[in-house]
Amino acid sequence: MARTFVPGSRGISGHLEEEERDLLRKVFGDVIQMLEPEARESEDPLVALTGIDPHAAPPRDAALRRLLPDGVKDGDEAALEFRRLTERSLRESKIGSLRAASLLLEGSELQLNSEEARHLAMALNDVRLVVSERLEIRTEADAEAVHAMHDWSKADDLEEYLSVLYNFVTWLQESLVQAMAYELDRTPDAAGEGEPS
Amino acid sequence: MTDHEVRQEQEHQELTASDTPWNLVIWNDPVNLMSYVSFVFRSYFGYSEKKADKLMLEVHRKGRSIVAHGGRERMEQHVVAMHGYGLWATVEKAVSGGKGQRG
Repeated sequence: MARTFVPGSRGISGHLEEEERDLLRKVFGDVIQMLEPEARESEDPLVALTGIDPHAAPPRDAALRRLLPDGVKDGDEAALEFRRLTERSLRESKIGSLRAASLLLEGSELQLNSEEARHLAMALNDVRLVVSERLEIRTEADAEAVHAMHDWSKADDLEEYLSVLYNFVTWLQESLVQAMAYELDRTPDAAGEGEPS
Repeated sequence: MTDHEVRQEQEHQELTASDTPWNLVIWNDPVNLMSYVSFVFRSYFGYSEKKADKLMLEVHRKGRSIVAHGGRERMEQHVVAMHGYGLWATVEKAVSGGKGQRG
């Protein structure tokens, strides 16, 4: 069984069994595949160069829309413009974190610095967003209902399997975030990628 | 100046050059963990634990919270960063903003 993440002098340590790491790498790979932009035959080389995609449109898949939401609410045109300017680079940064997270799971013993922990937390969160959409978790009550499923051996259909996966990833992320918050308390100077406004 | 300082200086100029305030809004959803949302506010914006928790609870209870405000470009960068973390963020013109940059 996986153990909870523990903050320490050499970063955050954790332990995951081989099957757990294989499973996580598999789902990280699935999410990467969802995020890979569709290859267009006549893609304008400027898209790759500038990251601005004039053909970007809101994803049809609801789970992908959770990963790439609108940046402007109730403003279709403004939201689309925002998407065209930013979606490509958002896809790339998410794929980057998911790949980095996969690489961290090569061995059973995990020793994470704050950047690595951040990649893993973001990757786990993206998995939770996708799985929650597949499970149609729309309200707090829906989320509560899913919480009951913890036993892989009792999962006999896709929905139950996804529920167990969701709870496992949730437990892992909660444990990781607790350790990251503890690290933040210890080194307040490390906080602040952006400046307080 | 280091690259980082130069960048901050540029951002500062952008902020002061634009007199239109914009809000960065975070929306509630039943999936994101409260601890994670609070952690993102602390680590990304450099907010205190108290302030981060207050904003997180506001998102949770009221459905949305304005977590930052300032120049439009800066807020749009924050939106993309928040989407990177998996939080649903939008940018909107501040109601009391007066002069609009667009529209």
